Amino acid sequence: MLSSMTPRRVVVTGLGAVTSIGIGAGEFLAGLRAGRSGAAPITSFDASGFEHSQGCEITDFDAERFVTRLPSAEYGRASHFAAAAARMAVEDAALPVEDLRAARSLVSVGTTDGESRDLDRLVQQEVELGAARMDPVVARRVPAGRLSVAAARELGLVNVEAVTLPTACAAGNYAIGYGYDAVRSGEFDFALSGGADAVCLKTFAGFYRLGTIAPERCQPFDLDRKGILTGEGAGMMLLESLESALARGARIHAEVLGYGLNCDADHPVAPNEDSFARCVRLAHENAGVSADDVDLISAHGTGTKANDVSEARAIRQVFGGRPPRMVSIKSMIGHTMGAASALAAIACTLALREGFIPPTINHVRTDPECDIDCVPNQAVDADLRVVQNNALAFGGNNAVLILGRHEPDGVGGAQAAERGAA
Amino acid sequence: MNTSGPVITAWSAVSAFGIGRETFSAGVRSRQPVVTALDPERWPAPVDRACLVPGADPRELLGRKGTRSMDRVTGLAVAAVGRLLDDGEGGRIPGLDEDTGLVLGTSNGSVSSIMAFTRDSLTQDRPYLVDPARFPNTVMNCAAGQSAIRHGLRGPNVTIAGGRASALLALNHAQRLQRCGHARSVVCGAVEEFSAERAWLEWHARPEQDPGDASRAALTGEGCAVLLLETGTDPAAGRPVLAEVAAVEIALPADEKNTGPVLADCLRRALHRAGLSAEDVWALAPAGTPGPYGAQESTALAEVLGAHDPIRLSCTDLLGDTNAASAAFQIATLLASAEGDPAAAGRAALVTTADPDGVVGCAVLRLA
Repeated sequence: MLSSMTPRRVVVTGLGAVTSIGIGAGEFLAGLRAGRSGAAPITSFDASGFEHSQGCEITDFDAERFVTRLPSAEYGRASHFAAAAARMAVEDAALPVEDLRAARSLVSVGTTDGESRDLDRLVQQEVELGAARMDPVVARRVPAGRLSVAAARELGLVNVEAVTLPTACAAGNYAIGYGYDAVRSGEFDFALSGGADAVCLKTFAGFYRLGTIAPERCQPFDLDRKGILTGEGAGMMLLESLESALARGARIHAEVLGYGLNCDADHPVAPNEDSFARCVRLAHENAGVSADDVDLISAHGTGTKANDVSEARAIRQVFGGRPPRMVSIKSMIGHTMGAASALAAIACTLALREGFIPPTINHVRTDPECDIDCVPNQAVDADLRVVQNNALAFGGNNAVLILGRHEPDGVGGAQAAERGAA
Repeated sequence: MNTSGPVITAWSAVSAFGIGRETFSAGVRSRQPVVTALDPERWPAPVDRACLVPGADPRELLGRKGTRSMDRVTGLAVAAVGRLLDDGEGGRIPGLDEDTGLVLGTSNGSVSSIMAFTRDSLTQDRPYLVDPARFPNTVMNCAAGQSAIRHGLRGPNVTIAGGRASALLALNHAQRLQRCGHARSVVCGAVEEFSAERAWLEWHARPEQDPGDASRAALTGEGCAVLLLETGTDPAAGRPVLAEVAAVEIALPADEKNTGPVLADCLRRALHRAGLSAEDVWALAPAGTPGPYGAQESTALAEVLGAHDPIRLSCTDLLGDTNAASAAFQIATLLASAEGDPAAAGRAALVTTADPDGVVGCAVLRLA
């Protein structure tokens, strides 16, 4: 416990987003408000053998434009995304990079597939030319630990703990939760936390084989939903203590109130409602909020038959018959795997700051078994104070993050004071 | 031992020496390297020898039930965690609640499982004719998730990727989970598997400037070592404390040339934080990676320890290059050696690593 020290309040002061509906936090915000769709035919690999192959790829990402310091050929696409989003987050925070370098920082990057795009390519070379002819430059890019190293090195950080968290599709929340604890305990001055992934054949083929890839569009909570669209991108947040943000006059986007982690220890891929509900309660407890305080839920909301019903039921277990509105931005950017909950956390942060709720697009008719208000198709204005960001993953890895609007004397302040006193 | 910090109260290992803590300790004492000649049919790798775990096939290791689609790395982790939690009579060691956490280091999950899956997609009649039962193996948290399922661990379940620094990053993560109230007890360690795919990737990844160099054919190792981390104030069920985790320090040198100096800074900070000096160090277990990073590590140790010359335990010589599992084996080696040496009591042990992908780190243990 943190009993021996006074825990610090942790705020979000920088946002970096690389998404199929916009690159940079501003463009991402515009996309969320407009309900843009990133879906298009997949071009990352030869998809001609699949009967359908829509995905949410980033077609206008020029690594050289965003990644300035890193020797880009030595790193794969997911590392480029992570490095670009990290740089954007620091620029967004108006934090001089020399100050960041002089401080002690954590860089935590969540991922599902690491550089599996590169592994796809190496297997292709192996099949066509033999294992001895694989490209050594690509082979060196494979280790997943390089994603966080790329983000840290892009910024020239040395006094840094760079760690990659490959906890599959909940990894972004894991990484942000880790950054929160790192700053909250006083051990680190700054945390750059989020997630990154690149579209790859391996994961597309796997989900396709499971029958969980939608033919055209992702429709979370819709009666007629047909599955996920695989996506890619990165989301990184700069976290620092409230004290540090105030001292340097930083713009505060939101406050991290807490998070919860647990494991189903039940089924390797199917979610467990009771266990996920327990994770939500753990997050509330850690954040010092109650279910009544939560104004909006950003769902894991993959758009598969199984996930959306299980998730909605778990939410009802915790929130009772009238849960808050629950949206899925995967309808717009697809399932970006390890980046998914990081980008959703950025969407939550923007929603808190701007006072709006991003829509669940492609929505026709809500599945009565889900029975939630998913804010269909159109963004709405809303006065939000506490937002919950859900993430579930293979391996029964659950992670729920709670964010609050930053108000010096408001909800975040009062709750933090209570937590400090508790 | 009177401490409020995180303490190690149990450990186990599945290694080239065999299954379990006793075989590991015996192996460390005997100092006999375990080398397997590879059957080229089974292992189409660019090497003909490796340090394999005997009987590492999951069905051999864990029995037939539930292992049909389990891959090697998952089997190694499930077996090691099982050994750690076993009370010797088939039951669970006492004092662990169901919210016990698991933090497991890995390099990349199983590159063999990932590449085999893509290979199927590229070579079958249709690209979706892949084995759905093996899809979860291609996700890097599979070993941690399966270990939780098989052993009922419902606390935070975390997978960490940081190359040779994985176990030190995992140890740091585990102690922060405890300190911040997310878990009381945490199983913490790291795992690595041998595969032809991994051997090829490592063969390609080695610097081109030294073809034919012995390091290009360094023996590849595998296995899993795990620790039980509890808090000093309440080692559950009165388990004796084996060691306190006094400090862990991590950094990221800008390049290979700066690796030694940055690791030396880590060592000085860690000893300072632990309130210890170089003379307090009873033994050290460096990663000893062949090539320039191992040389940088030696330079850092020489710089910080000066004239003091503690016992030096190398597990790379015995177990091969176990990559992500290496620092976990280094800790296990220190604990195994301390068990049989009264001179270790109350003194410090050092673990260091320098990963070629960048991260360096060290841990200081205070032995009970």
